[in-house]
Amino acid sequence: MFTSMLGPHARTILTASVVGITLVFYFTLMSDAYAWSFPFFEWMETTWFGVIGKTWGAAFAFVQTIHLLSLALLGGAVLAAEGRVLGFLLTDVSSKIVIDRCHVLLVWALVILISTGVFMACGVALKVYYLPVFWYKMLALGAGILFHFYVRRPLLKFDLEKINPMIVKMTALASILVWFMVAATGRWIGFSG
Amino acid sequence: MNELIYNFAVWLDDTTYSAMLHESYYMYNWVESTHVLTLMVSLGMLFLIDLRMLGYAFPDVPASKIAERLNVPMLIGFTVMFVTGILLFYAVPVRSSQSVWFRIKMVLLVACAVNAFLFHKRMNESISTWDVEARAPDRIRFGAWLSLGFWSIVVICGRFIAYDWLDCVRDQPAFIEFLAGCLDGQTRF
Repeated sequence: MFTSMLGPHARTILTASVVGITLVFYFTLMSDAYAWSFPFFEWMETTWFGVIGKTWGAAFAFVQTIHLLSLALLGGAVLAAEGRVLGFLLTDVSSKIVIDRCHVLLVWALVILISTGVFMACGVALKVYYLPVFWYKMLALGAGILFHFYVRRPLLKFDLEKINPMIVKMTALASILVWFMVAATGRWIGFSG
Repeated sequence: MNELIYNFAVWLDDTTYSAMLHESYYMYNWVESTHVLTLMVSLGMLFLIDLRMLGYAFPDVPASKIAERLNVPMLIGFTVMFVTGILLFYAVPVRSSQSVWFRIKMVLLVACAVNAFLFHKRMNESISTWDVEARAPDRIRFGAWLSLGFWSIVVICGRFIAYDWLDCVRDQPAFIEFLAGCLDGQTRF
């Protein structure tokens, strides 16, 4: 009922609203949420993940490696799919097939990335709590997930021939940029603090 | 041999650009970030090719297409990683050359190259008979598993280089000192 009121672009409008609200929240109410979330970050360090991450450096480094390997898989899936959409990779394979197959790989990579990311965050919870770049990464990750599942995926389910090529290319470019942002902010965390 | 490597590393360490690169916070971090983030291109493409051979990705796309089309971006990625890797070594030559993890990584990189050569040779010899099948023959799949395994350990070793657990500057068991090539009385670490 509610979504039908928004016409044929319900998901896009809803996603844009969520992103808009998140940004407004980030730049206005963030300081309050920042204070509220402190006990949560303190608790994270006391969990099993937190204790293991802090006690055994090798375990932490090993999980970091799994995180990096899944990042590589995510990068491969994004670049292959968007490369096909932009017309410079796998051009002799149906774009529908490439997009769908890469989506499966991206979901797997994302599941591993988030699982290992939670473990790593528990090990250094109070450190990342005070790092602005950690929050930028969370913002980028949230934007990436929302963009992928609620903008790009529904859009590219349509027949690509019927969509304005400029929109399709801009979507592909935005997808590469948002995931690059997630990776780059993650790397930046390593340099901070 | 270890003395030769050590002397070469000390010589590199004494060059101006090595010190400049090491001491430059932004430049060093840019090079390191490029090295790590290019994983998304090089290993990303490699994973797609290996997973295709194992039947876990693009099962309905001919294997030859995946291997050929993704080979170019993969090689571009590896070239960038190679160049940035050399720069990272150049910035910290003594410690890197005496790092057990770095040494294992170098041996594994050679193993990866040999495996890739054999993998492509075997693939090109037989691909016409299984190109459209979801899974490659056993021999090719074995090569794909080896590739995934070797590269995963390469990344693990690369990550572990950052830690000083097995560095010569600390007291190490004789076996580790042998692997790292630590020298008696060395003054530079």
